[in-house]
Amino acid sequence: MAVPAAANPPTGNRKTFRRTNVSSLERVISLAIVVLLVVIGAAIWFKGKCYNPDRFALNVNALKATAVAVEGKSGTVRGADASPGETTAAVNQQAAGEGGAGGEPAEGNATAPAPAAKGEPLEIIFDGLKPMGDTEFYNSDNLFEKIDGRAPAYLNFNFQQLRCRSFSVTGASGSFVDVYEYCFDTPVNAFGMFSLERDPKGEPLVFAPDGYASGMGFFFRQGPRYIQVMASDQNAKTLDLAKAVAEDRAKNLPADDAGLDARRRLPATGLDPASVQFVQENAQGQAFLKNVFQAKYDFDGQKLPFFLMVTTPAEAAAAWKSYQDFAGQFGGQVTALPDVNGAKIFMSKNFGTWKVIYQRDGEIGGVVDAADGDQARAFVEKYLAGQMK
Amino acid sequence: MKTRTVRRLAQVFFFSLFLFFVFVTDLRYLKGYPVSLFLELDPLVSFATAITTHTVYMGLLWSLLLIIPTLLFGRIFCNWICPYGILHHFIGWLMGKRRAGERERIEANRYKKLYSLKYVILIAMIVAALCHSLQIGWLDPICLFHRSMSVAILPMLNLFFPSSIYVRQYFHVGAWVVGFMLLFLVGMNVVIPRFFCRVLCPLGAFLGTLSTAALWRIDRDPHKCVDCDLCLKSCEGASDPHTQLRKSECFVCFNCIEDCPEDAISFKFMPALEREITAPVVPGRRAFLGTLLGLTFFAFGRASGASDRNYNKKVIRPPGSVEEKDFLERCIKCDQCIRTCPTNVLQPALMESGLEGIWTPILNMKLGYCEVNCTLCGQVCPTGAIQRITIEEKTGLGPFVKEGPIRLGTAFFDHGRCLPWSMETPCVVCEEVCPVSPKAIYSREVSIIKRDGNPITLRRPYVDPALCIGCGICEHECPVTDEAAIRVTAVGETRSRDRRLLMDGGITSAPRSLESKQR
Amino acid sequence: MKSDPDASKAGESGDAASGGISRREFFIRAGATGALLAGAAAGGYALWQPKHFVPGFAPEKGLQLPSYAIAPSKILPSLAIAHGTEHEATVRAALGALGGMSRFIRKGDVVMIKPNVAFDTPPALAATTHPETLRAVARLVLEAGAARVYVADNPINSPTGCFLKSGLRQVADDLNLDLLYPEASGFAPLQLDGEVLRNWTFFHEPFIKATKVIGVAPCKDHNLCHASMTMKNWYGLLGGRRSQFHQYIHSIVSDFALMMKPTLVVLDGMNVLMKNGPTGGRLSDVKLMNTVVAGTDMVAVDSYGYTHLMERDLAELTYVHKAEARGLGSTRWQDLIYKEVQA
Repeated sequence: MAVPAAANPPTGNRKTFRRTNVSSLERVISLAIVVLLVVIGAAIWFKGKCYNPDRFALNVNALKATAVAVEGKSGTVRGADASPGETTAAVNQQAAGEGGAGGEPAEGNATAPAPAAKGEPLEIIFDGLKPMGDTEFYNSDNLFEKIDGRAPAYLNFNFQQLRCRSFSVTGASGSFVDVYEYCFDTPVNAFGMFSLERDPKGEPLVFAPDGYASGMGFFFRQGPRYIQVMASDQNAKTLDLAKAVAEDRAKNLPADDAGLDARRRLPATGLDPASVQFVQENAQGQAFLKNVFQAKYDFDGQKLPFFLMVTTPAEAAAAWKSYQDFAGQFGGQVTALPDVNGAKIFMSKNFGTWKVIYQRDGEIGGVVDAADGDQARAFVEKYLAGQMK
Repeated sequence: MKTRTVRRLAQVFFFSLFLFFVFVTDLRYLKGYPVSLFLELDPLVSFATAITTHTVYMGLLWSLLLIIPTLLFGRIFCNWICPYGILHHFIGWLMGKRRAGERERIEANRYKKLYSLKYVILIAMIVAALCHSLQIGWLDPICLFHRSMSVAILPMLNLFFPSSIYVRQYFHVGAWVVGFMLLFLVGMNVVIPRFFCRVLCPLGAFLGTLSTAALWRIDRDPHKCVDCDLCLKSCEGASDPHTQLRKSECFVCFNCIEDCPEDAISFKFMPALEREITAPVVPGRRAFLGTLLGLTFFAFGRASGASDRNYNKKVIRPPGSVEEKDFLERCIKCDQCIRTCPTNVLQPALMESGLEGIWTPILNMKLGYCEVNCTLCGQVCPTGAIQRITIEEKTGLGPFVKEGPIRLGTAFFDHGRCLPWSMETPCVVCEEVCPVSPKAIYSREVSIIKRDGNPITLRRPYVDPALCIGCGICEHECPVTDEAAIRVTAVGETRSRDRRLLMDGGITSAPRSLESKQR
Repeated sequence: MKSDPDASKAGESGDAASGGISRREFFIRAGATGALLAGAAAGGYALWQPKHFVPGFAPEKGLQLPSYAIAPSKILPSLAIAHGTEHEATVRAALGALGGMSRFIRKGDVVMIKPNVAFDTPPALAATTHPETLRAVARLVLEAGAARVYVADNPINSPTGCFLKSGLRQVADDLNLDLLYPEASGFAPLQLDGEVLRNWTFFHEPFIKATKVIGVAPCKDHNLCHASMTMKNWYGLLGGRRSQFHQYIHSIVSDFALMMKPTLVVLDGMNVLMKNGPTGGRLSDVKLMNTVVAGTDMVAVDSYGYTHLMERDLAELTYVHKAEARGLGSTRWQDLIYKEVQA
């Protein structure tokens, strides 16, 4: 659209016009805008001061996940076969000469000579605890260096490795928490050792079904491990930390109850849980009694020791027979009892105490060392009849 | 106080604020300042990304704060707030002193048909956005100004005044193109005042379209007016206030009110419609050409295959970037990420990622590397082309251990260039600087007989692709500086399912062997 | 043209119209041109380079650092080992065992503390000097009356990120120390009669005014040279393409003992990076050893650190043996006058 030229064009040089009549409304609005600009400036300055430092640096709490070392990623691979595909004569010579020497991958540490694989250090990250020294490792050869005379019992249960470490309590010099993790080959064996050392007066632990608190320590079995967490003194803080550490171990160590299902056959009624034990072999001095679970029961006001063993039917029958024969020796009175629910039973009195032994399919068990023979028989018959769950 | 005085105050304020933000986008000073505020206020950015992504990303909601006043008062942004517009205004005023006499100045501010070009450009860009290709960054003034500052102006200042901006001098590929483009556009103010704002600015076109609905505007009282045309003398928008005001062109600069000797011009609420040209004037044919340009830009660009299987190995995107197709929907080429990167590794791409990816950020390990505990680029990206990830997400720590770290690519050895592999010389700097634990570069010890007959035990490095995060510090530190013996390429990046390297069940890239050994 | 007597007269008195010029004008114009000619000739001769040179081979002259060591003592120990659980207390115990910081720092000294800030990792990962150790050392230095304390390093990662994320920038802000970033203008060529290191660009700026130098190093595993302790710490002062050093890493680290004669070195063994060094990256790489070693002989300090803090065989650590062979220190720290204390 063509714009017509100005009707009264300006004539060139003239003083620049300055507007003077400014309405009060204009003044007010202008002032308001200035105030608005100041407010915006202040808001931006303020926003500059408030910021989350995690924008710029890693929050240290995020590092918790890295407290566990990673295996299988060595820094430098050494040894004759270190460089597959390397075909220089020198390496071939080396390979032929050394015949595959070493080749043990170094543990992430790029430069130190490969140490014998000992295992992961015991890393427990807790507020209030600082590790004192290194993690110690003991195997069956040198366990006695650590626990002296207790070692043979552990070795009997196929002890594999002890991993232990002490932690000092920050702010309380002289207070510390010791953590001992005994690793066995099977959960059953761990249970065996655990139950052998069990304190009958121990308080049960919420976080570990096979566990108890006694004195200044927390003891429990988890998987194939027997864990002991001990506080150095009775201070509340030390004890709390020890308990927290025990809970932490229970949470983090893998649970495994393989081979312990025989234990479930033990009837629950009247069972004193603190008395459950596992005996690997030669239970009650009998060679044919292996992998036996035994416990004490409250029955009619008496404490009755009861045991059972689960094996093949043939072996169970043979064991029962052997036991019967043994009971007959040395002046024992053996009485055969009628079968109950498919189980063969005999009872005998030896050296003043009664035993009632049954065998049913692959299970052999019974009450031993009872003062009252009738009571023992009643217990066994009740169990066999399925009246004791 | 006169409104024009306040306008000048506002110009000083916002321009200084812009420069402040640009300067402070550095780890040393950044703190909590909202340095991408102008980009977040930019309505074209939020509008265009809303078209391409169907979302309004985080801070882009602030743009409502500008849309509302535009719908009420018109294009106040262009003369009160826009730092690029303020720059042009200032330069035009500076150069304009050369213009002798009122006559020349008045003639220079008459409306020209050329000024409809920005609407054509806007149409082209919107059409491209509808095709999921975001190209507003080429000419959006805030993007352009941020980019020019980051890529060209600040390094220039640092060359003349060493260590004033950066600790070590920064370099950017193609800085000369960006720099000269700025110089050209600013220099064109000599030929046509506010050349960029009137002729090219797509944001101005967008705001001009919105201004159609404005309730207030500059109004000329025909009874007082003596047709002297003096109102055109300093008219910034070339909106013809001397006849029917072109609402979509007026910058609300208030100069005409000051210049009118008859006091005939005022800023009025809903004045008569016959004294204005409400909508922008865009001939149909030109609009069609704009549409065609938008369609073909997308189609020909995409069909060149740079973002599909034929992807360039050197297109390594910043950590937290979305997948490539989404990236091209979000990146506005503002180069804020390039400005804030502490190692100068981010560079504006040229043709590496195709036509659509010009000036988008890629990593160049010769100039820098991605520092492992840093997510600054994502913090300043206004559109989420680089998501605002945390350092924990980037490194795969804290609650993100299962997902594992974000990988930018994978490093590969070039054995012929590697000192221990081919030149009998010990080295393994790459292994030393590899920041992950366990390291993604390990070595194997090998004994060889050197050329002079003496034996030597060397450590030859290897990459473990399950652990490599593609940060590139190995390539950066490699002593073979012209073309490193270990180089990172884009394959293995976690942002894209297609470009993963290792089979991992298809869910995460956390190396499976690592997973089973942990805890 | 026939000469006109009037004209020639006019010419002598300076009438341009006649074609001649005055004597005054002649001297001015001829003088100006002559001066320009002379200036051009003189300038050209002054800038003249008669001989060519071969690029990259010209002999370089560089600065040489003075020794910052104090006079050795026959009574006071030159090595101190302190054990304790708190950083500050242990550092103080170690310095106390040496005779106190005032043995090393006089009132008015300008002290340059060189920490290891090589990477942008948090302090818990033990890849950088622990901020609490730096704080303790800086406090002791200020208490001893230092006029100014510089903290500087040329990290491998980006300097701004490293100082921030390692926590050292906060320490510098809190105690008002002068934090110097490695800007390009801060470097100058260094000259050294080293085994391998002869001419290299060096971060000179913090040393211009310094009268005493203290190195504060973490104790770290290093994939290439086995450990990074007080001797390797000086690597952070060099610029340029340091990645070439790895071709002769042990020789170069022993060259550092020649390059720098500090007043004191402190080895921070509170948290030791036992594997995956020098960058680390996992908490499981770090071991708490709760020890700080301070001394005047960096070779001895490193020897103690390698055997007692990193628990490795000293025979592997080639660079300390090289340094000892060159008379730059002693690996037999037990033979020095030393003191071991509990914080």
